[in-house]
Order: sequence, then structure tokens, then C-alpha cells
Amino acid sequence: MENTDWSDVVASRNGDEDAYARLVRRYEKPITSLLWRFTRDPVQCEELVQQVFVDAYFSLKTYRGDAPLLHWLRKIATRTGYHFWRDKAREPAETPLPDSDLLEQIEAAQDDEIDPAEAATVLHALLARLPADDRLVLTLMYFEECGTQEVAERMGWSRAKVKTQALRARRKIKEIAEREHLLERLGWIL
Amino acid sequence: MDTLEALARLARKACEEPVPVFDVADGVRLRIRSEKSASFTWIPLGLFGGVSAVAASITLFLAIEFWKYMSSPVMELVAPLPEMRLW
Repeated sequence: MENTDWSDVVASRNGDEDAYARLVRRYEKPITSLLWRFTRDPVQCEELVQQVFVDAYFSLKTYRGDAPLLHWLRKIATRTGYHFWRDKAREPAETPLPDSDLLEQIEAAQDDEIDPAEAATVLHALLARLPADDRLVLTLMYFEECGTQEVAERMGWSRAKVKTQALRARRKIKEIAEREHLLERLGWIL
Repeated sequence: MDTLEALARLARKACEEPVPVFDVADGVRLRIRSEKSASFTWIPLGLFGGVSAVAASITLFLAIEFWKYMSSPVMELVAPLPEMRLW
């Protein structure tokens, strides 16, 4: 762990607001990047980023410093995003797949010409059709390139649970993609 | 191409997406302050609740002790109060 992080953590614990603001500025970018996988609404995303740093502040005394601060923050962010999905799941709304114009645009382009934001929109819309647990495992594996061990550590789940969840989630998303004829619609990817 | 392989490729492409940039430090500071002040107002209420619970436990304990020494609790309840000169 960087000494600057640790000294800012200690100062923050002692009530130094400027030290905590320095930590927030240092890590808001990677945390935003992670939470952008949980919502594509910038207002909600900013709200979640704030929530992560507020929760982290009140849990600072539990941070022992044996792992980098960013790992610890990512764990909090993942759980915050997961709870956000769980709360949203109570509202009966399904994210529609992108309209046909967007799909045609993607289909017409070469791989290099594809807008990553549009690729992300398609993938998010697909993942949004899964239950929160399945969605979380695949989101972390696809976007964060996490292995089963890391997903398990972030969520406090057993590795066996994550493996089973990943297997089930892959099967479900494959079924959804095939039902929607996604591959035919995304000709560029074949 | 297999569907899952295609989805993984889609994900790799999606990872190149630019992410919005926020400056949340001031917002975080404000929220921390407001949550701290909110927690301070809860302390007296929690203290009051705790003291009330202790007092209720003591009263209950004394009541049970008194109840145990009654020869016939039901009769004691319905029997008229003994007349006593107060002054």
C-alpha cells in the first residue's frame, strides 16, 4: 500500500476532511468506472459513487491496510452496485434491447468502427434481463475481468457458489441472446 | 462463432467505452457532514431508550420478587385494601 494512502487514511480517521477529499479524488475515477457497469444513467452513477465514498468513510476504522485501498473500495463499490440492482429489481421494468437502427448501425460497421458505447449498451441490455446474482457475476467477469476467486472475495461468497452462479448465468444469457437472434442482428461480430 | 464467445468479444469492445468523469469530493464531504450531524441527534434518543429499558427491567424484577412472596396472588388482588391511618 502507498504511504500517502495510509497517511491520508489515518488523518481521515482523525477527522481531517481534506485528507479524505484527497483519497476521494485519487480513487473516484476507477470507482466510477466500476459503477458505470451497474447503471448507465450518469446521475444515478454519480449518486452511487458518492454513496461508496460515504460508506467507506464510516467504515474506515475497519480498514486494516493489509490490501491496497483501491481493492477495499472496489469491494464496497461492488456491493453498493449489487444492492442498487436488488432495489431496482423490485420495480417491474425490463431494459429493452437497443432499437433496430442501432443494431443495423452496428451490423454495418467493421469491428474497429464499432462504437464501444453502443457495444456496451447492447451488452447491458442483455445482462439486465438476468437476476441480480447472475448479472453481477457476469458483469464482473466480462467488464472487470475478474476470476471466480476475486468475485467471491468481493462479495463474501464461496468460490463454489460463484462457479455455479457463473455456469448458470452463462447458460441463461446464451438462451436470451439466441432467443433474441442477437448474433444474426450483430453480424459484425461473426 | 459460439454465442458466449461472441458475447465475450462484445464485452471486450464495451470495455473501451469512455466513462463519465465526476468530481464527487465536495458532495461526499457534504453528505458525511449531514450524516454525522444526524447521528448526533440519535445519541440522546438512544440513551433515553436505553435508560428506559433498564428502568423497566428493574421494575419487572421487583414486581416478580414481590409476586413470589404473595401467599395467594389472586386473593391479594381481589381482597380489599387494609385500612391504614395515614396521619
